[in-house]
Amino acid sequence: MALRFWIGAAAGSLAAALSFWAVADEAFITNQSSDDVSIIDLDTGETRATVKVGGKPAGIALSPNGAYAYVVSPENKTVSVIDTVNGTIERRITLEGGPLGIAVNPNGERLYVADWYEARIFAIDAKTGEIVARIPVGESPSGLAITPDGALLLSADRDSNQVSLTDTATNKPIATVKTGARPFGITIHEGRAYTADVGSNTVTVIDIAARKKIGTVSTGERPYAVAFAKGKGFVTDQYANTVTVFDMDTLKIIGKIDVGEYPEGIDISVDGARVIVANWFSNTISVINAETLDVIDEYDTGDGPRAFGLFIRETK
Amino acid sequence: MKIIGLAIATALAFVPMLASAHGPTRQKVTITQEVAAPPAEVWAVIGNFQDMSWHPAVHETNGTNGNEIDATRMLTLGEEGGPTIAEVLYKYSDTEKKRSYSYRITAVKVEILPVTNYSSHLTVKPSEDGGSLVEWKGAFYRGYPNNNPPDNLNDAAAIAAVTGIYEAGLAALAEKFATGN
Repeated sequence: MALRFWIGAAAGSLAAALSFWAVADEAFITNQSSDDVSIIDLDTGETRATVKVGGKPAGIALSPNGAYAYVVSPENKTVSVIDTVNGTIERRITLEGGPLGIAVNPNGERLYVADWYEARIFAIDAKTGEIVARIPVGESPSGLAITPDGALLLSADRDSNQVSLTDTATNKPIATVKTGARPFGITIHEGRAYTADVGSNTVTVIDIAARKKIGTVSTGERPYAVAFAKGKGFVTDQYANTVTVFDMDTLKIIGKIDVGEYPEGIDISVDGARVIVANWFSNTISVINAETLDVIDEYDTGDGPRAFGLFIRETK
Repeated sequence: MKIIGLAIATALAFVPMLASAHGPTRQKVTITQEVAAPPAEVWAVIGNFQDMSWHPAVHETNGTNGNEIDATRMLTLGEEGGPTIAEVLYKYSDTEKKRSYSYRITAVKVEILPVTNYSSHLTVKPSEDGGSLVEWKGAFYRGYPNNNPPDNLNDAAAIAAVTGIYEAGLAALAEKFATGN
């Protein structure tokens, strides 16, 4: 712990100087059917720890400093706060409704949890677990994302076919943008937001500043979520068992990668070189080389991995 | 017949729901069955999306576009005028390496089959003794899309119904190819 604190407090140059110490990222995979979280070392594929969570965990987010994983269990309506180093549950936050998607703001002080059943987002004090606001949005809000400056919270409002933009200073929605049918996952990257539209097999591309849709990408059957690496977008196609790859600038399809069955959650290694996909039916994660688009590894998880959210943690 | 009995036994009257809505936890069922015939012969019986007659619960299959992607079929269960299930094909492979098709339900009453957002895969693989291994997999949500589902539309009911359908179909298939038949 002392070393971690020291590195965290150190100047960037010092951290960079230390980076030759091999850094193995870890994947925090929510296994909905087995009710736990697998902590998987991405270099060895070993499951370092399995954390019993309960309540059919699905949504996941990590604190910006990597100290905590926040896991959302819709069935028992809780957020479990996991100490990422010890692999223990430090605390549980009890919510209402049908919590699912989660995001943490860049300073780590606020958690936002989407309530799938009640068309609202809980804004939660990350320290105390207290609900500080209930933000009304469209129907069945699912994926959440926050701009890097922390100013805007975006929600994919699945059954309203829209993205809501919320001002995090006031906790008030300030705009909506129409998407394809049934947007589920949402990802922010370089000023744009991308939704995976389950119902229309598309990714909707939104210019966040302009508050408008600027493009569409055709995906495989039932896209779930999007991630970005090496200038490319990667989309999990649940029913096609593929990852659709598109060029970020032209939005043209570059390739389709065969992965496991029912690929869902997707995230990128810290160095941007690998794409990690949770295969819900296969009980594995696929690791993709973001440059060559080859699947380089497949590792075991618990039963029913969903990993809905950002689930990669940098270890130091 | 067994399937319909099961579905009806668990059914009550329900307000129609949005087909797109579903609960938070997707369920999976995988049933495998050894069949005493080579994969090509088994595939000849079950590999046509437009003919589900190998399943004892299916009275009639009516569809369009053969085994093309986006082909549709309407299954009538039990008897003439029985309940129906509408399905669409989204993956099809009948090569020697991979004999498999994938489809999803586009319309069914939850009183008939208590699931939503259902997709399924039927695969025939060679087994070690020259026979086949047939695998039927389903992924779906329960019939009731909101919190606190009634017992007949909860996760367990959905799993029980799908398991019953798969077991009945695969048992009938195995019987068809059983030695001496």
